[in-house]
Amino acid sequence: MSNKSKKHENIFRKLARWFVRVFMGLKYEEKWFPRESKGEDQDKKPDDSEFIVSPGRQAFNSYMERKFAVVAFIVVIVMFLIVFIVPNFMPKYSDSYTEVTLKNLPPNLTMMSVPKELKNDIKMIDSYGSFSVGLSNAGKVYVWGCKKLGASGMDVEVPEEYQDIKMAMVAAGVDHVIAIGEDGKIYGWGSDRFGQYGRSANSIESSTIEAMPEELYENGVDVAHVKKLTCGYQATAILMDDGTIYVWGNKQTYSNMNNFIGRTDIYDVDFTLNYIVGLDSKRSNVYTGTRGLYDMARTKIGGKATKMFEFLNGRKIDEITATTSSVCLLLDDGSIALAGDFVADSIEVPTLAAGEEFVDIKAGNYHYTALTNLGNVYSFGGDHYYQAEAPANIGKVAKIFTGAFQSYAVDANGDYMSAWGFRGFPLGSDDVGANILERMIVGGRITMTVGAVAVIIEILIGVTLGCISGYYGGWVDILIMRVAEVFSSLPTIPIMLILTSLIAQMSLTTNQRLFMIMCVLGVLGWPGFANITRAQILVARESEYVTAAQAMGVREGKIAFKHILPNIVSVILVSMTLSFAAAMQTETGLSFLGFGVNYPQPSWGNMLTKASNATAAKNFWWQWVFTSAILIFVGVCINTIGDTIRDVMDPKSSSER
Amino acid sequence: MGRYIAKRILYIMVVFVLLTFMLFSLYRLMPANRAYTDAKAEIQALKNSIPASERDTKFDELYLKYQRMYGTDTDNTVILYLRWLGVYPYYNGKCNGIFQGNFGHSYEYNAPVLQVLAPCLRNSMLIGAFSEVFILIITIPLGINCAVKRNTPFDRGVQAFSLIGFSTPSFIIYICFILLFSSILGWFPVSGMKTPGSDYHGAKFVMDTLWHITLPAICLIFSGLAYNIRITRASMLDALSLDCIRTARAKGLSQRTVIYTHAWRNALIPLVSVFVGGFFGIIGGAIFMESMFGFKGMGLLLFNSTKTADYDMIMFIQVIYVFIGLVANLVTDLCYGLVDPRVRISK
Repeated sequence: MSNKSKKHENIFRKLARWFVRVFMGLKYEEKWFPRESKGEDQDKKPDDSEFIVSPGRQAFNSYMERKFAVVAFIVVIVMFLIVFIVPNFMPKYSDSYTEVTLKNLPPNLTMMSVPKELKNDIKMIDSYGSFSVGLSNAGKVYVWGCKKLGASGMDVEVPEEYQDIKMAMVAAGVDHVIAIGEDGKIYGWGSDRFGQYGRSANSIESSTIEAMPEELYENGVDVAHVKKLTCGYQATAILMDDGTIYVWGNKQTYSNMNNFIGRTDIYDVDFTLNYIVGLDSKRSNVYTGTRGLYDMARTKIGGKATKMFEFLNGRKIDEITATTSSVCLLLDDGSIALAGDFVADSIEVPTLAAGEEFVDIKAGNYHYTALTNLGNVYSFGGDHYYQAEAPANIGKVAKIFTGAFQSYAVDANGDYMSAWGFRGFPLGSDDVGANILERMIVGGRITMTVGAVAVIIEILIGVTLGCISGYYGGWVDILIMRVAEVFSSLPTIPIMLILTSLIAQMSLTTNQRLFMIMCVLGVLGWPGFANITRAQILVARESEYVTAAQAMGVREGKIAFKHILPNIVSVILVSMTLSFAAAMQTETGLSFLGFGVNYPQPSWGNMLTKASNATAAKNFWWQWVFTSAILIFVGVCINTIGDTIRDVMDPKSSSER
Repeated sequence: MGRYIAKRILYIMVVFVLLTFMLFSLYRLMPANRAYTDAKAEIQALKNSIPASERDTKFDELYLKYQRMYGTDTDNTVILYLRWLGVYPYYNGKCNGIFQGNFGHSYEYNAPVLQVLAPCLRNSMLIGAFSEVFILIITIPLGINCAVKRNTPFDRGVQAFSLIGFSTPSFIIYICFILLFSSILGWFPVSGMKTPGSDYHGAKFVMDTLWHITLPAICLIFSGLAYNIRITRASMLDALSLDCIRTARAKGLSQRTVIYTHAWRNALIPLVSVFVGGFFGIIGGAIFMESMFGFKGMGLLLFNSTKTADYDMIMFIQVIYVFIGLVANLVTDLCYGLVDPRVRISK
């Protein structure tokens, strides 16, 4: 009858029908997928009791009728697939990745979005961390990216009173912005805790802060003769045409700042993360005031370094630009030289065609973007955010700018052409600057693996012992049940805490540790399974259907597998689902307390550890809200599945409810 | 009945000895040697008064002295365990173990374990008992009502709440509560048990303490609701579908009598283990609540002890847990007899 027609149903048609049923309801299903045999069924529709449907099929059907449960099931499956498949497509992800300039950032995807008003009129763009500043030819400053800085709660949007001032130059540090007005005055905003701008009492008194020079603060500079304005981590430098340099800011970050103060023979200057690097008037080496820094040069990132003097061989350095740990030198013959350290996943310097030479080079925090005389743009260096992968065929580029993790190409009219690099964190960043979304996915994999393996161990021990106990009975039964009783009467979390702290004393690799935690969770959770299995076997052995089957002459093996096993499996299935949720919760709790999975390995539990601090929980809400939400959501879904399976398996409930 | 209890107590003792011996052997693996550290400390103190040549022999002497004092002058785990229990004499011929009231020495606090543990146990039990009573007061009527008014909007709402609450790890609830009541509304302090730097006495002290423990208590109550509602509702539903309830209704008994006398008595049977477990669980403290609020209870003590590897303390807390677990089992079984006449008869 209807069963027969269903059997011939195409698998795709079946899936489509399920989809319609799940998301649109039974009404549409009947409308769009009418049962072929409906016509002949209608007049002789048999009574419910005449149907012979196997218990499994019956349970499956009634499960499918519960929309919420089906959605929950799909969600859990999808979640499983995501956490196990997506990490394979995150080649740049690393557990212990940290980025000091991107700490505690809220969800934001606008780090590369140049404001529309600026797009046709770009004069310059600069950035050192989470936000970028741009200056239009009309002298207006624009800020985009994370304007509210996580670490200090500082707002770096252009202050009201500076908005109408025509600016000539602008530069951004990690939490401050310095702009030089057309009038020569120097404007600063953002954080001034480390003397980034202005002359606060604190900045003058402190020995670790170099305050902004007084004459600069009072009188400003002659804009026409400013050669370069650049900002470092929490410091700023202004270089004049005549070689005079003004430097101020956090001396703790830039320990060689004193070597630059008062100098009048500087040709070019830039900031790495820890040093100020400059060129003196000889232009034959990188000046830092510290011996042995950046004195070996090479042409390729992977190339062999030679002494700077030998490398230059009489050539002069035209321009110096620095990432956080390396410097790039543009030489007067149009070639470049590299010094310092590059991160592991760096993209190699391109080999130029004959006759093509570099005319400009700009540095982000890890990458360089270079412009050649033919108008081609090349990026190289650190590529964690794909910032060193310049698109091909941009067109003829006239000017290039770089943000901390972005590059921008601009044509001769100052029109925006293209940008590549880092857009921002969709779910924010954590307290070491790692992407929360990525950690959530990888953490989900760990949390779910721990839960699943723990449940498998529970089942293996529990079902085996339960079977033995139920089958043999007698003193074996008593012994096993007593042991189970003792295990189940121990408080889970405290015992777990003690055992994991014992594990912590052993010298294990992270993966072995993880496995030990799974084992501990499994070993402590088995009594539940043992009890159910034993009870089911006892019931099944005595039940009428088994007796009936025996009376009908069904073979022992068939009784065991066809009659008893399905009954046990269904009950174990329920218990498994609920235990999975419980094991996940226990793991999260342990990791939250710092005993389960430890940093740098992410888990949904240890990602929430920081939120136990009320201030952090309030200021950096994105660091725990999303993770908690996904944790609760998955928990609700799994528990719903478990509850529903139990309901549909229970003959009493299905007939009554 | 008396014989049954005696049998159970005997059984408890056997299991207790077995379990504690296992744990004891486990802790023997840990790198902690009190005699060695003490001897080392004393030799450091005596450094100048004895010549370098005699230092080694003096150290060996001291080490032996301390080993004998602490009873670690043997590598035999069984003897060590018996000494720890207090049934095997130390070198000086006296027993000094758990039976004599020596529960070990906390390295971290440099005090006897019992002395450190007692106030924590008191705190935990006070707040735990208080919140457990509240949880029962709230969840029993709610669970019964939900089961009786099954599938009404009221029941659906409570069920949704309990499903979400059940799936939420308790520490997330605490984070939300701290954020709401302490950070945003500012009604309660974020953590601690008394105003820092204060030295109140009398009524003022009580008020201050109450002010500090209100939020932890609320959190504890709230996080316990979901599970209890779920389980009460489930067992009440089972009880309501019993034949005896139909009979009671058919007899024309009032709804109240049917539910509270007939159904509830039946529903109580599976709940007994949950309730008893809940009440015995308070002795273990609430680790998440205590570590987040800085509430000085058993949970926080265990948490800190595991962090600082204070083995005597952990060992003793563990012993308490094992003991509680076993006693709770016995009490549960006795309670079964109390609420279920069938059990009483069969014994």
